[in-house]
Amino acid sequence: MNRAELIAELERILGPRGVVATPDALLTYDADGCVMDTHEPHVVALPTSAEQVAAIVRLAARAGMPIVPRGAGTGLSGGATPMQGGIVISTARMDKILQVDTANGRVLCQPGVINWELSQYLKPFGYQFAPDPSSQKACTVGGNIANNSGGPHCLKYGITASHVLAVQVVLPDGSIVWTGDGSAHTPGYDLTGVITGSEGTIGFVTAAWLRLTRLPEAVRVVLALFPDIAGASNTVSQVIASGLLPAALEIMDRLAIKAVNDMYKLGLPEAAGAALLIEVDGVEDGLDELLHDVTAICWRNGAIDVRPARTLAEQNQVWAARKNAFGAMGRLAPTYYLVDTVVPRTKLPQTMDEVGRISREFRLPIANVFHAGDGNLHPIILFDRRDRSQNQRALEAATGVMKVSIDFGGVISGEHGIGVEKQDYMTLLFTTDDLAAMAGLHQSFDPHDLFNPGKVFPKGRGCGELAALRRSGVAWSALKSS
Amino acid sequence: MNLALLRADLTAISGEQYVREHPVDRHIYGQTPLLAVAPGSLEELAQTVARLAAEPVAIVPWGGGTQQTWGRPPARPFVVVETSRLNRILDYTPDDLTISVEAGMTLGALSAALAANGQMLPFDCPLPAQATIGGLLATAMDGPRRLGYGSARDLLIGIRVVEATGRISKAGGMVVKNVSGFDMMKLYLGSFGTLAIIASANFKLIPQPRAAASILCRAATPAPLWKLINAIAASQLVPVAVEYLEGFDVAGAPCAVAVRSEGLPAAVERHVRDVTAFAQQAGVSAEPLRDAAHEQLWNAINDAPQTATLAADEVVVRVTCLPADLSNAIAAARAAAQRANLPLQVTARALNGVAYLRVRGSAEALREWHAALLKAAPQTMLLAAPPALIAELPAFGTHIANLDLMRRIKQEFDPADLLNPGRFVVGQVA
Ligand SMILES: Cc1cc2nc3c(=O)[nH]c(=O)nc-3n(C[C@H](O)[C@H](O)[C@H](O)COP(=O)(O)OP(=O)(O)OC[C@H]3O[C@@H](n4cnc5c(N)ncnc54)[C@H](O)[C@@H]3O)c2cc1C
Repeated sequence: MNRAELIAELERILGPRGVVATPDALLTYDADGCVMDTHEPHVVALPTSAEQVAAIVRLAARAGMPIVPRGAGTGLSGGATPMQGGIVISTARMDKILQVDTANGRVLCQPGVINWELSQYLKPFGYQFAPDPSSQKACTVGGNIANNSGGPHCLKYGITASHVLAVQVVLPDGSIVWTGDGSAHTPGYDLTGVITGSEGTIGFVTAAWLRLTRLPEAVRVVLALFPDIAGASNTVSQVIASGLLPAALEIMDRLAIKAVNDMYKLGLPEAAGAALLIEVDGVEDGLDELLHDVTAICWRNGAIDVRPARTLAEQNQVWAARKNAFGAMGRLAPTYYLVDTVVPRTKLPQTMDEVGRISREFRLPIANVFHAGDGNLHPIILFDRRDRSQNQRALEAATGVMKVSIDFGGVISGEHGIGVEKQDYMTLLFTTDDLAAMAGLHQSFDPHDLFNPGKVFPKGRGCGELAALRRSGVAWSALKSS
Repeated sequence: MNLALLRADLTAISGEQYVREHPVDRHIYGQTPLLAVAPGSLEELAQTVARLAAEPVAIVPWGGGTQQTWGRPPARPFVVVETSRLNRILDYTPDDLTISVEAGMTLGALSAALAANGQMLPFDCPLPAQATIGGLLATAMDGPRRLGYGSARDLLIGIRVVEATGRISKAGGMVVKNVSGFDMMKLYLGSFGTLAIIASANFKLIPQPRAAASILCRAATPAPLWKLINAIAASQLVPVAVEYLEGFDVAGAPCAVAVRSEGLPAAVERHVRDVTAFAQQAGVSAEPLRDAAHEQLWNAINDAPQTATLAADEVVVRVTCLPADLSNAIAAARAAAQRANLPLQVTARALNGVAYLRVRGSAEALREWHAALLKAAPQTMLLAAPPALIAELPAFGTHIANLDLMRRIKQEFDPADLLNPGRFVVGQVA
């Protein structure tokens, strides 16, 4: 099938408005938020229904072309980048909230619904969709599900996986299935659970029942300022250890404060080395006690100021600064590389020291804006992409952050996923046998590597090869002699 | 099969005293295993599985044996592989609020170790002194506090398994947030030991609350209690458990609702006040319970669905449905029980749509009761039944979707169908 035939077939399925094929337009689909690797798709499809997605998948199989699912393209690991070309299926036109079912604590959505719009829509009902990535004003729930995304409030409410009750997916064989209806124990293997976080490699999500979370009765936000990041990190470690359960604990360092100050007029003293954003929520009763205990820990760790956000407007302003901090980085450098890793929470202070050392070693400024309560770092390496030496040093600094995180008992991604960005780092964390088990799961869904091929697994170790390895098993005699 | 040779090889791996022939105390619905072997380390477990796979002979992983009646009995002669000696804490830094434990550790032992540091893993399973972590994960057992803290699905952050060939693999890690690679934890959780044997697991822990109390609301009939449950659901209260109870002697009334609150003292008192007020509006009594009375009530509720000790004429099932359909499903179970005059006991995670039911009667009466229940709740799972009935009653309900896909997964992970053959929805695949 040549390109013209492919486009004609797609137009037959989707109508002319559902197909993007002009060279200029295709360029805008050559990457997601991770601009380190780019590649154009052959064509972009914009379906409106699961049936259309299924038809495209069957067509792709016939044409021998990969499928690359795409939400808003805010992903930071290259997950939506069509590294081998093929058909990008965008969910931009699958953006309907279909049913709010408060009696069963669930809402039915199409995958292209914007995370923020969902929560705004649910507010009048008294509910929210709890996962709240900082990109929530742009990213889609389909992308959230595929990446098992996190957000500041995951500290208390858990990651996306805990909020996906069931999904409708188109499988690589072109069938359309529901993994459940939102009830607690669907008989059989937990297909919802394995599809969530699979980065679009085993199923294309065409609808989902998501969990509704009741809006809390009361919320308190304070901003604690510290002379340095050590004070803020120590505070976070101690708050966690003391068994207090805030809704969010987010840190911004000196560079980040400077960037957001300009943009949001927070008037934070730029002498402050770090700001810790603390939110507690729940029933009104007891909340002040909780906040009192948390702020006491701040003072013990050398806080220079603890500022309550007294009104809703003040709270929103503080949160807007935090959630748009990455955007403000443009004020500091032409390019930034956001590295997402996780460490055990007692290791936070030492890890932040190491991040400072890496910044000095590679002579690149690193800003930090992160989900400290979960131990989820986001060192933001600031550099100029046009400078080849800086480019190289930025990559090396990122590798350094990953290695340090692993040395401290952590992992290479807390919420942004592996995609292409980190696929070759997987072997730092996993043995061949570990990867082979994941490949086994992948193979049972997508034996022909049709969905988002060449992602997650290390380059040069195809899923098929890894799965064949695990199938070969271990010989009893080999074990006996070892 | 040369049993003597197999036994000799297994003895070479785990030691003489840990290999037993035809142990009757490991029977499942009257079927005694060929052998029971208890490896003492991850490596011994892997070698044991590799040896059994080489035979090949079916394998039934065995934790505390409290839930071996769940699902279907083994389809072929089998060897029991016990995890009881894999009972160590592997890694625990209390201030990280994470722990890694071997699969054979009991929830009771784990809870004791955590309590010493003011922490907990709020799984609330039956018979915690016997039930092991591996078994709880394999069956995805859920307790009343899943409402407040989530279930194992939300708290399991890492896993290590021995696959059907003896290969060891792991996934996840020791951090509370992690998307490095596929979420294999979800695959093994609730897979009934049909894909791999869980060797160890890592969890996110919960700090013990500063205060806790419950409100026990009693009534003669169910209707006002469901009004109360709905009022709680519509409020902004955040109880950690809301359990509907029926035919449950400990509650001291035909029907009851137990609400559990945990957290800061002021927040707990607020729950006691508000739930009491809701109860009054619904026309039911409300008694606050604290300290020992509170603990005793919940221990009894947690144990209610146990399947370790059964009467000869007893059936235990788990009903799963949408939360709003739960009262109707229970009503159907009640009506069917009343028709045949069968005693029925219900403990239900009211806001999660999960209910554990026990009923006793003649084979004929039980058969009819189960059929009537399935009509109202097609996702009902059989947890235990008299041996005469176990082969004929549908074990996983009448509504199993995506069987082809699940069989492909089983085929990939255990092509020779060695692990728990016949037990799970995938049935026999080899
Ligand atoms: C400024 C900024 C801040 C961010 N903050 C956070 C944060 O706080 N927490 C966090 O977790 N992430 C964060 N991210 C990363 C990103 O926003 C999330 O990963 C988000 O969930 C991606 O959604 P998307 O709609 O943009 O998906 P895309 O980028 O379009 O796709 C992401 C992945 O999902 C797959 N996919 C998309 N739709 C489907 C579908 N329907 N079915 C199957 N697979 C699909 C794609 O193939 C790809 O692999 C941030 C990104 C930016 C740019």
